Amino acid sequence: MLVKDVMKSPVLTVDVSVTLEAAYQIMLQRNIRHIPVTREGRLAGMITDRDIRLATSPFAAGGARPIETPVGQAMTQPVITGDPLDPVEEAARVMRQRKIGALPILDGEELVGIVTGIDLLDALLRLTGVQKPSGRLEVCLDDRPGELARLSGELARHNINIHSMLTYPSGEATVTTVVRIGTLDVRKLAHDLRQQGYDVRWPPQISGKSL
Amino acid sequence: MSVPVIYSPHYQLYNFGPRHPFSPVRLEMLLDLLEHLGHPAQFVEPSQATREEVRSVHLESFVRRVEAAGRGERTPDFDHYGIGTADTPIFAGMDEAARWLVGGTLTAARMISTGKAKEVLQLGGGLHHAQKDLASGFCIYNDLSVAIRHLTDQGLRVAYLDIDVHHGDGVQWIHYDEPGVLTFSIHESGRYLYPGTGYIHEIGKAEGTGRKLNIPLEPFTEDDSYLEVLQMGLEPALRWFRPDAMVIQCGADAHYLDPLAEILLTTRVYTKIFPLLRQYVADFSGGNAVYTLGGGYSLDATSRIWAILYLTLQDLPLPDHLPEPWLRRWGTQLGHLLTHTLLDPEGSYSEIPRKPEIERRNRHVTERMLEAVRPYWN
Repeated sequence: MLVKDVMKSPVLTVDVSVTLEAAYQIMLQRNIRHIPVTREGRLAGMITDRDIRLATSPFAAGGARPIETPVGQAMTQPVITGDPLDPVEEAARVMRQRKIGALPILDGEELVGIVTGIDLLDALLRLTGVQKPSGRLEVCLDDRPGELARLSGELARHNINIHSMLTYPSGEATVTTVVRIGTLDVRKLAHDLRQQGYDVRWPPQISGKSL
Repeated sequence: MSVPVIYSPHYQLYNFGPRHPFSPVRLEMLLDLLEHLGHPAQFVEPSQATREEVRSVHLESFVRRVEAAGRGERTPDFDHYGIGTADTPIFAGMDEAARWLVGGTLTAARMISTGKAKEVLQLGGGLHHAQKDLASGFCIYNDLSVAIRHLTDQGLRVAYLDIDVHHGDGVQWIHYDEPGVLTFSIHESGRYLYPGTGYIHEIGKAEGTGRKLNIPLEPFTEDDSYLEVLQMGLEPALRWFRPDAMVIQCGADAHYLDPLAEILLTTRVYTKIFPLLRQYVADFSGGNAVYTLGGGYSLDATSRIWAILYLTLQDLPLPDHLPEPWLRRWGTQLGHLLTHTLLDPEGSYSEIPRKPEIERRNRHVTERMLEAVRPYWN
C-alpha cells in the first residue's frame, strides 16, 4: 500500500499572507487541523491549529494578533514531506519519528496530497480489518524460506480463500502469521494442520470437543 | 394452545454433502427424539418461497447465480458471490432447496401477521450469514431477513434476536439502516470467531442507529456469565423498543461440545434461556415470535438443545433420561456414545482458570455496548 493510495487529494492550501484568524476559520469550517502554506504557489510551510493556539496564547512571548499576523509568521518551516510512491509504513515511520500529525506529499515541486494520522489509521483498518466474513487462523511458523508458501498451499488444497494475511516476528526464530480465511469451519482445518506438525495458536485445542 | 410447528420434508434437500457440518441429520435426530419421547410433532406444511419473495432482500445478480449454480452451470464470478466455496459448495437444486427453508420462516411470519398464531416454531432455517449478494457460512438465502421484511412491510416493528454462537452478520447488515428493526446478537467475539464482526460499535447507521446491538463474548464463556449478560443487554433493549413481533434464531452451537466454536454452554442453561425468551416475548412483544433453528454442529448437543426448545414452547415437561432405543439407534449410526440425559452432567468439561476474568470482561463489554446505543434511544 502506497502513500498515493491513502493520501487526500486535492489539498487545501493558504498563502503565507493569510491571517491566523482566516486560517483558523478554514480549519473550523472544514473540520481539519493542518493546512500547507504556499508562497507564490510553492510549498513554504505548514500551519496547524496547535501552531495558531500557541502563537496567540496569552502566555506566548510577543503574542501574535489573530486578525493581523500572517500565517507565514507562525507556520512551521521547513516542511517534512513525503512522496506519492513511498510505502505507507515509511510515511508512518517519518510521522512517528518527527512527532508530526500530517505529511504534505510532493510530486517533484508540485503539492499533490496530504497524509494525516487519521489516513494512516484508515490504512491500518484496511490492512488488518474484516472486509468479508471470515474466520481467524493463527499459526507460529519457522522464520525461514518456504514456510508461508507451505501454509498457503494447505489452504489452497482445502479450497479456502485467504482474505488477509499478517506476519510479524514473534520469537528468536519464529514468526506469527494471522490469516483471515473464508470459512466458518476453522477448527477442522486447524486439526489437519496440527496433524502435519504445524504449531496452530488459534483456534485452540479443547479436549472433549468432537470434530 | 400449542405452538404451531412448521416443517417440510423438503428441508432435507438443503444438503451440502456428507462431509459438511450443516447436516440434515440434525433434524432427523430431533424429530426421532420427539417421537421417542411420546410427543410426535404435528406440522404445518410451509409453502416454498417464490423468487420474488427471495428478491425482497437479495439482489437479482446473486439470485440468478444461485439458480445457475443449482442447474449445474458455471460462471467465473461465483467466488465473488460466495458460491462454490468450502462453506457453501454447489449442489443440484440449491436454489429450490434454499427457497424451501425461506418459505418455512416466511410461513411462520405470515401466521403472525395475519393473526393466525402468536408464537410459531420453524424447524429449520436461521441462515443468518447470507447477505444481499453473498452466500456465506453455510447460508445461501437469508430466511430470517425475508421474514423480517414481510413483517415490516405489514407495518410491524421487529426485534431480531440471535443466540447462535456466530455473529448474525447477514441480518444485521441487511437491516443496518432500518429504524423498524432492532437486531441483537450475542456470540463469541469476532476477534476469534467467524465471521469476524459483531463488535459493540456496530450500532447501525442513519435512521437505524442505536438499533443494532451486539454482545461479543470471551472464548470459554460459561452458563452463568452467558445468562447474566444476555439479560443485562436484552431486557432494557426490548423494554425500550417494544417490538410488535420477534424473530429468534436459536442456533445451538454455543454448546461446549460444538466443534466450531469456543463457548462452553451446557444444555442446562438452555432450560433457562428458552423460558426467559418466552417471558420477554410475552412482556415486550405482544406475545408474537417466530423461533427458528440455526447453527449447531455437535449432533449430540444440538438434538438435545432443540428438544428443549420444542418442549419449552409446547409447555411439556423435560424428561431426565433420554429413551434407550433412541440412544442406541443414533449412537450406532454415529459411531460414538451419546449423552444419556437431556441435561448435561456437572463437570462435563475441565475447569476454566480464567473464569472470573471472563465474567468481568463480558459484563464490561455489555455495559459499553449499552453506553454506545443508549444515547440514540428516545
